[in-house]
This record gives sequence, structure tokens and C-alpha cells, in this order.
Amino acid sequence: MEIDDILASVDHSDVSSPESTALDHQLLTRFWVAERSVPELLPWPARLMDRMMERVRQQIETIEDLAAASSDPTSISNNSTQNATLTLSILQTDLSRTQYLLRSLLRNRLSKLTKHSMHYLLLSSHNAPTPPPASGSSEAKHQSPEDSVPLPDPENLPSSSPLSPSEATFLFTHQQLLAKHFGSSFLSSFPPQLRRLDDNAGGTSMVQGPDKREVVFVRCLAEEVGLLAPPGPGEDMDEEVVGQTMRMGDVWVVRWEAVKAAWEKGDVEVL
Amino acid sequence: MAFPLPRGITPPEISFLAEMELVTIVPRQRLEGLELLGGPVHPLIPPRRTNIPLWLALLLKRQRRANILPPPWLHPESLSLILDIETRDQAYQHAFSPPPPLPGQPSLRERSYAKPTARPRYTPEGSKYYATPPFLPQNVAQDQAEENEPPTLPFHWLEVGTMLLDVAGDDLVDPDQTRRLLKELREVRSAKIRSGVEVLDDAAGPGGGVALTGVGAMEIGEGRGFIGGVVDGLRRIGASKEQARREQLAESATNGGYDGTQDYDDEMEF
Repeated sequence: MEIDDILASVDHSDVSSPESTALDHQLLTRFWVAERSVPELLPWPARLMDRMMERVRQQIETIEDLAAASSDPTSISNNSTQNATLTLSILQTDLSRTQYLLRSLLRNRLSKLTKHSMHYLLLSSHNAPTPPPASGSSEAKHQSPEDSVPLPDPENLPSSSPLSPSEATFLFTHQQLLAKHFGSSFLSSFPPQLRRLDDNAGGTSMVQGPDKREVVFVRCLAEEVGLLAPPGPGEDMDEEVVGQTMRMGDVWVVRWEAVKAAWEKGDVEVL
Repeated sequence: MAFPLPRGITPPEISFLAEMELVTIVPRQRLEGLELLGGPVHPLIPPRRTNIPLWLALLLKRQRRANILPPPWLHPESLSLILDIETRDQAYQHAFSPPPPLPGQPSLRERSYAKPTARPRYTPEGSKYYATPPFLPQNVAQDQAEENEPPTLPFHWLEVGTMLLDVAGDDLVDPDQTRRLLKELREVRSAKIRSGVEVLDDAAGPGGGVALTGVGAMEIGEGRGFIGGVVDGLRRIGASKEQARREQLAESATNGGYDGTQDYDDEMEF
């Protein structure tokens, strides 16, 4: 057993240590940069976010206690009041910086979600929405846009889903409202078979997803990382076609799809 | 509008990141250690040097509670050496001067024969984690300069340099000269970015990319919109060639004749 393995096991076990606070801060920062930079929604880091939220809550309590103590005029001398004010302002700055990161991250995710809402809803639900009834049946006459919105189960999201449970709930409600609005404003005047929001007549789906071929800036962290060229939609090719190779420390402009797998392994960092 | 900003972190957000860089200070007053959300801060005991995040150092400096020790690269001598590399060195006519090595990465001179020995830490979820800027000590003062290592510009050089010049000018060696050199470096390097548009076509194809090694964070921020737009535009124009390119790649991979790596010398051609 090597020393790094021992260190690694320590890293695993003790989540409340100061080192793990620093590590979580670095992980959150890196995840924020990545979420801000890539075209698609990244998988929700549930455990990291839980730990960060818990720390923020504790830190707010600490700050409140300190503020209460320093506003008590009888207990402390003049000199230490000055230091307490400084400590408080440092703690509050640090808290605001972390809260900014969290807020920016969540809002960025919301905007990605609402931009491609049907795409992410389809990723997050196990069952396809009620299939369109056969044309001519009596049901088809009452076809409404809401019927095509898939219902995700927030407690049991499929592993392909990048959403957190509350994001899934939000997204479903959002899409329901949108579908109702479309229905009442114009879709109701369309022929019933044209009212769905997930139409894929003629083999072309009308549900649009993010473009994974947009470019990102990455830094290679492992010794070598090859750039993948996954097949496009409708192309039939073997997996794992590798193009150029990045080396450790290099900064490259590449397609997101080419480095996504390496990012998931932690071998590259998005800048 | 849940979020009005474009994809990719914007310059104010890059400055925010740069404020997480560690710098060295000499405190002028005592302060007990603090447990921050960004990690613990050691007690400040004058005149003992401590490494703290830049935002905290600036906060203390503004209140005259500490002096900042400038990082070794932010010295007129180091900056003019780097400027020399950027302008005179034949190998870097179209490339940025090399960045400081990551932990475990051999120095530039040994890179042709030495293997990288990076060892990741592990996150509580068990995935690999390699520390990178702004969480590497690239801006802290060193007791003795590493022997014969040429100075290098860290990832957040422009932001850290500018912020230190603004707030802690009196702690720097010759701030006017430093400011002038930073400005020259910035001009030389942004000319390199602009002159490299042609190679962007390489990033537009499948499995392709363009190396920008040595680029600074703010330079990425400035070029992101332009480079991203050009590459995406080129990709759409060349969309019909996509599958042919990929087949070509697969074929050369099976023949084994294709060397996927670019030469180290010309990889930073951008």
C-alpha cells in the first residue's frame, strides 16, 4: 500500500475535517466553472451539494453567534471588539463568495433546463408519455399539448438524468404550464394530431437538445488524453474513434463531445 | 430569465476565480485562525509569513493590517525575461511562453525524457482530483528561486497582477515598470491570439482540437466568444465532411500509421 492510497482513504472517511472543507470548495468551484462553460446540463453532484448546503447553514449560525456576542457591550474590552468586527467581516465575505457560487450554479442550471425542457424531461422519465391515440378515435379529438409532457418521478430518476429531484419537479410543472399556455393560445386551433410537443413524424424529432459539438476550453490533467470522435445522429460507426492527443498541462480548444468521457473521469478540467 | 450571462465564465467571474489564488502576506497584527468555507486560515502572527487567498489579502491590505509579498514572477526582471521569450525566442514566435508546470509534471527541460508523475487526490465520492489553478501555490513568495528555472506566467497572471498593482502598489518592486511590462506582455500575447485564426479549422472537425498551452485565464475569457463562434461556424460549413473525416480517422487508427500527437514544438502554433 502506498502513501497516496493511505491519503486517499483518509480523504474518503473524514468529511468534516478542514482539509475536506477546502477540497469541497475546490470541487464546487471547478464544477461551477464547468457548468458555466459546457453546452449541456452536467449530472447533479448530489452529495457535494448536500455537504456544501450543510456547511453554509452551519457557517450562518456561527456568524449569528459571533454577531450576538460582539454586540454585547459588557463582556469584552475595546481591543477585542475591533478584532471581532474584522473576523465577522471576513467570515461574511467568505460566506457571500460561497453563496454566490451556489446561486450562480443553480441559476445557470435553471436556464439550461428551461431552454431544452422537453429534452431533459424525456431523459428523466422512465416511461414515454401517453402515446398519441390512433387518429379517428374519439380520444384523438380531445388531444391536448399537456398529454405529451412526460412525468418524471423525482424520488426515482433514471441514471441518465442529470436533474436533481427538485429540478425535476420544477421542470415538469414548468412544462405543464407552458403546454397549457400553448394550448390555449394557438395549439387548440390546430388539427388534433398536430397538437403534441414531442412529435417525431417522418423520423425527425421536434424535441431539441443541447449541441454537444460546441467547443469548450479544457486543460489536460492526466498524462495523456485522446480526443474522441463519437458518431453523429443517424451514423452507424464503431465507438471510440480517437483523434489527436493532449498531454498533461496542455490547454486545448476542443468539442465538448470529444472530452466529455475524460471529464467524467477527472482527466481534464473545463476552463 | 433565470440566468442572463452567456456560456463560459465572463471576465468578472474570472477575476472572482483569480481572487482564490494563494498569496503570501506579512501580517501587521494578530488574528486567530479562522474556519472559512473555502478552507482553514492559519492564525496571523506578525511578522510570520502566511499564505492566504488573494481576496482576504486584499481585504487586509486595504485596512493596512498586512503587507503583501509580491509573487516572484511579478518582478520587473522576471517580466522582462518572459517578454524576451515571448518576442525574441524563435520557438515561441507563434506560441505563448510555457506555463508553470502542474504538480508532478516535469520541468520544461526534462519533459523530453521524464514521465509525468501526477498523483491525484480522491474526492469523497471516490473520483480523481488533480489540483489546478487557482488552487496551486503559483503566486506565493518563494524563499529561494528554483535553480535555473526560467520565470513563467501563472494562469491568472493578468488578473492577479492588475489587482496587486491597484491595491498593493507600494508593496511591489517598481510598480510603474511592472505596469508597463504587464501591458506590453498583454499586447504581444493578444496579437498572437489574433494571428492564429487559420488553425482554428483543426478544432472544427471530429476528434480535432487546437492547443493554446500557456494561455491565461483572462485571455481565454476575451477570446472565448470569438474562437467559439468561428469554430462553430466552421463546423457548420464543414458538416458534410464530418463522417468522411471520422472514417479517415478510424482507418488510420487501424493501420497504426497515424501518430495522434502533435510535435511538442509546433503544438502551440496558435
